[in-house]
Amino acid sequence: MPGGYMGKILRVDLSTGALRTEPILEEVARKYLGGKGYAVYILYNYLREYEFKGISPPDINPLGPENVLIFATGPGTGIPGFPCSGRYHVMALRSPLTGSIGSANSGGEWGPFLKFSGYDMIVIEGASEEPVYLSIVNGVAELRSAGDLWGKNVFDTCRILSRRVGGKNTSVACIGPAGENLVRMACIVNDEHRAAGRTGLGAVMGSKKLKAIVVSGDEKVPVANPDEFREVSRRCLETMRKNRVTGEGLPTYGTSILINVINTAGGLPYKNWQTGVNPYADKISGETLAETYLTGRRACWGCTIGCGRVTSVPSGPFQIIGTEGPEYESIWALGGSTGVKDLDAIVKANHYCDEFGMDPISLGSTIAAAMELYERGYIPKEDLQGLDLRFGNSTALVEAVWRTAYRVGFGKYLALGSKKLCEIYGHPEISMSVKGLEMPAYDPRAMKGIGLEYATANRGGCHVTGYTVSVEILGIPEKIDPLTPEGKAKWAKLFQDFACVVNSTVNCLFSTFALGVKDYADLLSAVTGWSLSEDEILRIGERIYNLERVIINRLGFDGKDDTLPRRLLEEPMPEGPAKGHIVELERMKEEYYRLRGWVNGIPTAEKLKELEIEL
Amino acid sequence: MPNVSVKVLLFATFRKKYGSKELIIECDGTIKGLINSVSNVLGREFYDDVYDEKRGMVRDDLIFAINGRNIKDLKGNIGLKDGDVVAIFPPLAGGLSPHTL
Ligand code: SF4
Repeated sequence: MPGGYMGKILRVDLSTGALRTEPILEEVARKYLGGKGYAVYILYNYLREYEFKGISPPDINPLGPENVLIFATGPGTGIPGFPCSGRYHVMALRSPLTGSIGSANSGGEWGPFLKFSGYDMIVIEGASEEPVYLSIVNGVAELRSAGDLWGKNVFDTCRILSRRVGGKNTSVACIGPAGENLVRMACIVNDEHRAAGRTGLGAVMGSKKLKAIVVSGDEKVPVANPDEFREVSRRCLETMRKNRVTGEGLPTYGTSILINVINTAGGLPYKNWQTGVNPYADKISGETLAETYLTGRRACWGCTIGCGRVTSVPSGPFQIIGTEGPEYESIWALGGSTGVKDLDAIVKANHYCDEFGMDPISLGSTIAAAMELYERGYIPKEDLQGLDLRFGNSTALVEAVWRTAYRVGFGKYLALGSKKLCEIYGHPEISMSVKGLEMPAYDPRAMKGIGLEYATANRGGCHVTGYTVSVEILGIPEKIDPLTPEGKAKWAKLFQDFACVVNSTVNCLFSTFALGVKDYADLLSAVTGWSLSEDEILRIGERIYNLERVIINRLGFDGKDDTLPRRLLEEPMPEGPAKGHIVELERMKEEYYRLRGWVNGIPTAEKLKELEIEL
Repeated sequence: MPNVSVKVLLFATFRKKYGSKELIIECDGTIKGLINSVSNVLGREFYDDVYDEKRGMVRDDLIFAINGRNIKDLKGNIGLKDGDVVAIFPPLAGGLSPHTL
């Protein structure tokens, strides 16, 4: 077994209660690393098996026992000195929110502790009849009743299970009421405030009656070449320390430093993307958060950046003592997109998202879509049942969060996500989503590349699949004009491929503000003992992205779905530096498909062969 | 020299360091002139924080935007007009980081 791996995958069949251990296969790891890559490989094999049994992939019910859920770490996870290696990736064959592949990533301590418990990955199929939780302690896995935990919120579940299981390096990943209630944007939360947020994977756990996974242990992750690793690690950590973003910006302000940066560029979506300029941006910015509610910071396991925010709202109607966040995306979705400018209400709404287990990006965006529907007269007032969903109403925002988690009143519609909600009310164009996944906080009319990226992201409207904002706005590793569509395809592809490497390593994407492909090649070579070149690293990333694409093709997604909401393609930005701009998507997409070797969003046989993907 | 009035917005650590987040500055309409005029108010250190004397241009590692457009993306002679808004972010919010992807 190469270094970096514990060498074991736990297979769980919740329908029968059977648990079995399988080895990590070196030939698969060499091609797909671990984390997202290895999970995509496993999911593809499930899909093939289903097809062989005569089940058509589009018939797979995301909330049925046939859906498969994978928790995965990679060879970098949990190694002291490996930059930002406290993360894990979760994937599902289908997302209940989008119908496309489910994919999300989380920090905290759970990922490393899974490895310390003796496993690299957990593959879960079937569904239990009664609520259960999975416990893995030093290599011993057990399913136990979660009857007493069902109905409990995330914080209580984490605390009770940590105590119950005890031991060294114990961490709990669980769902809250939202996941139990099959809310489509329910997420999986670990360590109370860290979440595998996107694509509704909490609802998949809920549908399987799996309340939590507790991991605990003190095994060490082997490193193939410790001396070489020490040297590369020292170099990389030094680079990150000296880098102004990873060494100072993120530690001081967290991700919300971006609120003012993106608003200045005219790309901070306001009131459900009706414009990209928020007149109140400074009131909800990282600077304001630092001056008001910030009380400390918290890092994921082994991370030297520590971008997590610890906050408190000491008094007032939105009082909350001792919470974490909100991050840039959460502030924007719960605040900017809804027009809410009271930071205390945003902190509280974000706290509820953690407590009940929901993705603030999709939830905030769905609330914002409801606000636009309502203000345009498309939702009758009586449907809202007293929830006054006007833009900027902070009380309604906070109320909408818990109503959604419990599917109370209008919450039962919000719980479906913006796409379904807008379809129900006859105006699908109001949903600011791609493939059913609500887009995050960057308006592509003000930065064209991210529009191409949203459109072509396999999991749907997502920024971290390939963060072109880095070159368009931040100037990392070089600066290109955000307002031109020229040259964006190359960057979208490169970032998407590289992000696959990071999410298969698994460590944190934020390290890439300072570290490049060569650093990853060196780190992974030292850890695994393979000698990986930069080209090979990117080829692995490209392979993962293409196999993931093959899966979504089989699920029914192709070029027609690689698109953006009509607003971004047809309504010119009304004000700010991007005034008059729309997204020239088709032009960029054509170049992108050419670079990818895809036709109509489908990888060609030659491309798959070139990448050594055997179908 | 023309006299133009420009709004200057400071962000992140610049706010703390210079105790200000918004200034109205009269200047000669050039970027260097603007930075000089701001330095007259905030002190010489500001000039060094923002201007790269050796290369004769705004420091490469910060975001300096005129009406929301990063000057790195603006072509030709960049001048300032009356009423322009200049936003300056210290390097920690981005800027150039010398590594290759
Ligand atoms: S940079 Fe932030 S999110 Fe990433 S590992 Fe570190 S603390 Fe966690």
